[in-house]
Amino acid sequence: MHIPDNYLSPQTCAVMTAAVVPAWIISVNKIKKELPPKKVAMMGVGAAFSFLGMMFNIPLPGGTTGHAVGGTLIALLLGPYASCISVSVALLLQALIFGDGGILSFGANCFNMAFVLPFVGYAVAHVISPHFGTNKKRDLVAAGAGSYIGINAAAFCAAVEFGIQPMLFRDSAGNALYCPYGLNVSIPAMMAGHLTIFGLAEVVFTVAILAFMMKAAPGFFSEKKEEAGVSLSLKVLLGALIVATPLGLIAEGTAWGEWGTDEIAATGAGYTPRGMADGFSLQSLLPDYSLKGLPDWTAYILSAVIGVAVLIIVFRLIGAVLGRREETETV
Amino acid sequence: MTDRILRLISGIIDNDTRYRKDSKVLPVLRMLVSILAIILCACSSNAIFVITVLAVELVHLAFLPTHSMTRVLKRLPLPVIFTMIIMLPAVFLGNPRTMLTVTMKVLVSILILAIMNEDLSWKEITGSFSQLHLPDVFTMTLDMTVRFLTILSRLCQTIHEAYILRAVSVHRQDKSRMQAAGGILGTVFLKSSRMSEETTEAMECRCFNGTYRNFTRHKLSVYDILYACIIPLMIVFFIIT
Repeated sequence: MHIPDNYLSPQTCAVMTAAVVPAWIISVNKIKKELPPKKVAMMGVGAAFSFLGMMFNIPLPGGTTGHAVGGTLIALLLGPYASCISVSVALLLQALIFGDGGILSFGANCFNMAFVLPFVGYAVAHVISPHFGTNKKRDLVAAGAGSYIGINAAAFCAAVEFGIQPMLFRDSAGNALYCPYGLNVSIPAMMAGHLTIFGLAEVVFTVAILAFMMKAAPGFFSEKKEEAGVSLSLKVLLGALIVATPLGLIAEGTAWGEWGTDEIAATGAGYTPRGMADGFSLQSLLPDYSLKGLPDWTAYILSAVIGVAVLIIVFRLIGAVLGRREETETV
Repeated sequence: MTDRILRLISGIIDNDTRYRKDSKVLPVLRMLVSILAIILCACSSNAIFVITVLAVELVHLAFLPTHSMTRVLKRLPLPVIFTMIIMLPAVFLGNPRTMLTVTMKVLVSILILAIMNEDLSWKEITGSFSQLHLPDVFTMTLDMTVRFLTILSRLCQTIHEAYILRAVSVHRQDKSRMQAAGGILGTVFLKSSRMSEETTEAMECRCFNGTYRNFTRHKLSVYDILYACIIPLMIVFFIIT
């Protein structure tokens, strides 16, 4: 679901960024007002889970791959606003350091995965379980349903963004300038995977971690939410997920809509759109979570370690700044 | 700028005054691992080793207390920007990777040192020097230099501030400013010689004859053994990559 650069026109990217900016502003203000500083640090752990979740690629017949996002999980643990910022930061890190998702399309990716996914997932879960955190079984069912509908809503948005490109941007020969596939192709292609395997992966990822959290860190769901910190079991779980990330390499092929410029013609389009061939590109530090001279699985683990560490550092620093500000205001 | 450098130097000494627990790992071992990592990073011909060390240090940083983390991160921008500026000609000569490689190596080296400074106190570092059988004169000179650099720079700054406050009618490009600089440095020099005499007297009072002894009661633990294993592992990884 990570839309690379040049698949969407710059105009679409600008509109999507403009659409997500208010969500960021409102989320930041809500976090400042409502979330205790300790929980802000916890957002880093949430972002790390989301980051790792997105590294577990799952294969689908036909050569495409997909992954879980974990947006609903963070939304249920810390609230949808915290989830919006956590997933946005994870996506930014992926785009800048690992070249996963574009820089220009960052706004669009955030709109789909950091705004639509957690808010829809959270809303659905709270409709099914209005008093979330009180009944374990009902909560898990609600989380599963929320995460499934959330990821499908996000995938649908991404499919529409892809699909409107050939309708709006064509060259004089009638060829698409950016993504060559219309809505008739993009919606079935995206939704087929997400309604089945990828949706299921998101449900498993959300429910499994939520069940683990309910058992290992019940303080999260109690009234004194600010007392819950990063427990040892959570650190162990993060470590286990990092070690297991190379499982994501089993899935060969590229996810639908994430092909390189050299691959797009062979996918059935028959040509490389001009906007993609002459488009913007940024050389990242660890492109596609790989490092020249290092086996793929080692580079994958290394990328996971760097990503998780950076996310935890960033959110712990934000938490410290907010904590200091809160102390100053109290004085 | 002066203020920043001053804070950087004094940070090494101030580390001792802050409340801190003794290092879990034998300080000399901790220091050896850091020095070895810096040397191997500098010698590595590809990015694999440097990025791996960066990943390990980032994990270490992520688990430090927030105030330590902030201090470490504050030390990074100045040397990194400085290196980038120095290496900028490489970009114009068509070798942008050289700039990136050198900058990353500097970043990793500073990160290693800054984190080590958070883990070890200045006392533990000088104590490690004696355990490494470095000449006491070297340790004492280094110790005194760092301490006096902080004290004398602060003195220099105070006198300079006092001069500026009093020099209301003096024009910006007046020669008297240059003369004043000489005066300030002269005063600082006189003060430093007086302070060195006082230090010698203080050393005599405390029966310190310039020999550094290690008084730490560190007992070898599993942490030390595990930490010692890092040295051969790091060398093997460096050779492989």
